[in-house]
Amino acid sequence: MTTLQFQENPTPTTQRPPRHHWNMVVDIDRCTSCRACVIACEAENNIPINTEDRFTQQRVNQWIRIERYWEGEFPNVKARYIPMLCQHCDNAPCEPVCPVYATYHNNEGLNVQVYNRCVGTRYCANACPYHARNFNYWEPVWPEDFRNYLNPDVTIRSRGIMEKCTFCVQRIRRATRGRQDVADGAFAPACVQACPSDALVFGDILDENSKVAKLSKNERHYMVREVLGTLPSITYLKKVEADAL
Amino acid sequence: MNNSLTKVMIPVVGLAVAIVALAVAYFVISAWWSQPPPILGFSQGPTQPIAFMHSVHVGQDAIDCQFCHRTVATDEAAGIPPVSQCMFCHDFGRIDGSQLSAEGITADEARAEVQKLRDAYYGATDANGQQIAPPSPINWQRVYRMPDHVQFVHSPHIQAGVSCSQCHGDVSKMQVVEQATSLKMRMCVDCHRQNNAPTDCTTCHY
Repeated sequence: MTTLQFQENPTPTTQRPPRHHWNMVVDIDRCTSCRACVIACEAENNIPINTEDRFTQQRVNQWIRIERYWEGEFPNVKARYIPMLCQHCDNAPCEPVCPVYATYHNNEGLNVQVYNRCVGTRYCANACPYHARNFNYWEPVWPEDFRNYLNPDVTIRSRGIMEKCTFCVQRIRRATRGRQDVADGAFAPACVQACPSDALVFGDILDENSKVAKLSKNERHYMVREVLGTLPSITYLKKVEADAL
Repeated sequence: MNNSLTKVMIPVVGLAVAIVALAVAYFVISAWWSQPPPILGFSQGPTQPIAFMHSVHVGQDAIDCQFCHRTVATDEAAGIPPVSQCMFCHDFGRIDGSQLSAEGITADEARAEVQKLRDAYYGATDANGQQIAPPSPINWQRVYRMPDHVQFVHSPHIQAGVSCSQCHGDVSKMQVVEQATSLKMRMCVDCHRQNNAPTDCTTCHY
């Protein structure tokens, strides 16, 4: 059995240069609003089942949702869809308002929610301009049959805890554990993996050859509510108008 | 009438209440900062369905931890070996416990424990050799339990050269395995800081 080698003055990991900066690109032109990402996310992250009354109470727990907008008047109506999830802002409005430091930015560009620190003030949800944060108003319950379907890698959040998209940090940890470099596309969050039209792309933007880095320089790129200066980690690609071609 | 008795009882009752309150406070505070004091069964490991003795297997026989806990270097969980792996050594005609020389257990008792293992593998039989129970896995009781919001993974620790005993204590001396360390977060973070391991919250909490 080996003994541990103690170092004199190790650098805290929070002060080390970042190895990754996880980013996502959402191509609105490819999104068909099938909501496979929503279901995949709920299955991966042990999200309680959203029943009808939770929708009517507007207390739905969805880490990713598809927002639908109608554009135009009746004969010339266009349906617009935009997948909305936590933008993992580099200048996140939710972080400074937390009184217990339960949400913070780590050096991989993730906006982290620490469940065991959260006391449920909901300040962060009020500060979030994307409505990406969900509060557990109830103790999560599942039908008895679901006991073995829950993901053991993800904490089950109890009542009174704020939660949100984590970019499937459990998958990031599993893929990067003990490795210096991860190949682009070696893993993906559940929503990206489930997307049948490849509208969602996930990767490391520090890797210049990654698909995300190339797509985020596309001429159609924009960020949601960019004027707020939140510096989101998610880049959207504008829809291509069929009648404009 | 009972004035003299009351005068005696008040300080006695008051003292008793104070002692109980102090004992409870001592228990709560010590359990908060380290491990609860070894009373009320807090120092004992759970009773296992088979009196498996790590002191014999690890201490006397010097079997490596990874011989049985095979997935510890590759997976999240160290892994409890299947019954068939125990039978590798304990099948009929092999080690049946009668060779045992350990404190607190006789060879007959050891044979009875090994018989429980063989019953689990082949299914228990009655005196006539008639099978009365199907083969079934052994319902081992968990000793180390992490809180739900902690995701502990064994493999990176083993690959970084952390010895098992650093958290699990000297198992080779334990007849009944018990929790040897407090598993408080301070213990994890201290070790991570000293070894330049990641201390980001999402290392363990997600």
